[in-house]
Amino acid sequence: MNELAFLMRDPKASFEAEDDYEKLNDLFFERGWSDGLPVIPPSIGRVEKMLAYCNRPWDKPVGLIPPRWGEATPWRLAANAVMAGCQPRHLPLIMLAIEAMCEEAFNLYGIQATTHLCAPLIIVNGPVARELEINCAHNAFGPGWRSNATIGRAVRLALVNIGGAVPGSGDMATFGSPAKFSYCVAENEEASPWEPLHVERGFPGNTSTVTVVGAEAPHNVNDHESATPDGVLKMIAGTVATTGTNDIAYSGEPVIALSPEHAATVAARGYSKADAKRHLWEQAWIPLGRFSEENIERRMRVKFPERLGNAGPDTPVPVVQRPEDFIVIVVGGAGKHTAFIPTFGATRSVTRALRRRDGNYALSVEELRGD
Amino acid sequence: MAELSRRGLATAVVCSDAFLSLARNQAGVFGIPEMPLIVIPHPLGGIPMTEVKARAERALSQLLDQLREFPR
Repeated sequence: MNELAFLMRDPKASFEAEDDYEKLNDLFFERGWSDGLPVIPPSIGRVEKMLAYCNRPWDKPVGLIPPRWGEATPWRLAANAVMAGCQPRHLPLIMLAIEAMCEEAFNLYGIQATTHLCAPLIIVNGPVARELEINCAHNAFGPGWRSNATIGRAVRLALVNIGGAVPGSGDMATFGSPAKFSYCVAENEEASPWEPLHVERGFPGNTSTVTVVGAEAPHNVNDHESATPDGVLKMIAGTVATTGTNDIAYSGEPVIALSPEHAATVAARGYSKADAKRHLWEQAWIPLGRFSEENIERRMRVKFPERLGNAGPDTPVPVVQRPEDFIVIVVGGAGKHTAFIPTFGATRSVTRALRRRDGNYALSVEELRGD
Repeated sequence: MAELSRRGLATAVVCSDAFLSLARNQAGVFGIPEMPLIVIPHPLGGIPMTEVKARAERALSQLLDQLREFPR
């Protein structure tokens, strides 16, 4: 008996069915084991192949996924990766992303069950992003790239099938979001004038990481006119400073994904990433009087009693608590746009590095095959 | 709450009717499928104090019923 057959000795771990693609998909839809799109049936043979790059024990959970608190074991994640259309070399990043989401600071329970329309955004940094051809350029947040589409989809299927994020009973989102189908992107490090996100967070440049953010879908900042850092940042700050985001009412870390052209304009006069964040923070605020009376009295004064307890209508309310709470990355192809990505607010992003079994950083996913 | 219930304390969870399905699922996940639920009308946010008080009264009567039946 091989390892997977041994793990599947529990009769509830598998079922026999006719090898008929349409009928199997009907069954998966009926049982709610899908995101609504057809899936590749996770046969034992396919799941076993999917585990080729798994360097962890197949039955040891990388985390517990709320609200069902299901065990996210590598072999269950592999089954969801098969269903999503992944290649075996994608599985290490899926496991890493789920592990990062299960960190307490991320508040996956809140993100899964909330009425807010957030979804975990996976940002990939380092050489593995190029190795796996994760799109970081034109249409990076959109369709058309297998790795982005299937890694993000596998994570979503795991959140549903293992975590129980079923609409109306485990996922209580008022609207949901197209980002809940798949939400995976790489940073365009080659086109960035700054250190990439993982280096900013203390990882060596030749390592590969995933950063997970409990995020809304991207919202565009169109600025084809500004020719100075202050101009671009002023336009971004104006878009960021709105009354309805969760970030302003909690302690969120919204993502500012600058296109390479916007990043070049901001960096042209020697602005570091930290400078850009500070300038954004100084401009991204709203006068208290812009909120409704009920929100001022019942939310803002209650949540920020020291700063806003007795504050007048002109008192500035910053969008984030500290300049460093802005997550600044460079993404996208040609064009003078920036993507503003608000978050769930009651969540902190988590970054995890890809490692070999011996604990050292993996410089390539190929190091994990048979590791 | 499930942990408190396991320790033998009288426990109940207040939830609004729109979230009843989530609450029932969660009670099952935490091993107390029979967890008493005190149900109030949705929504709880954005309502005036008079309606908050009306919900509290509905919750209180259910709470008293639960306590009268305790222990089951």
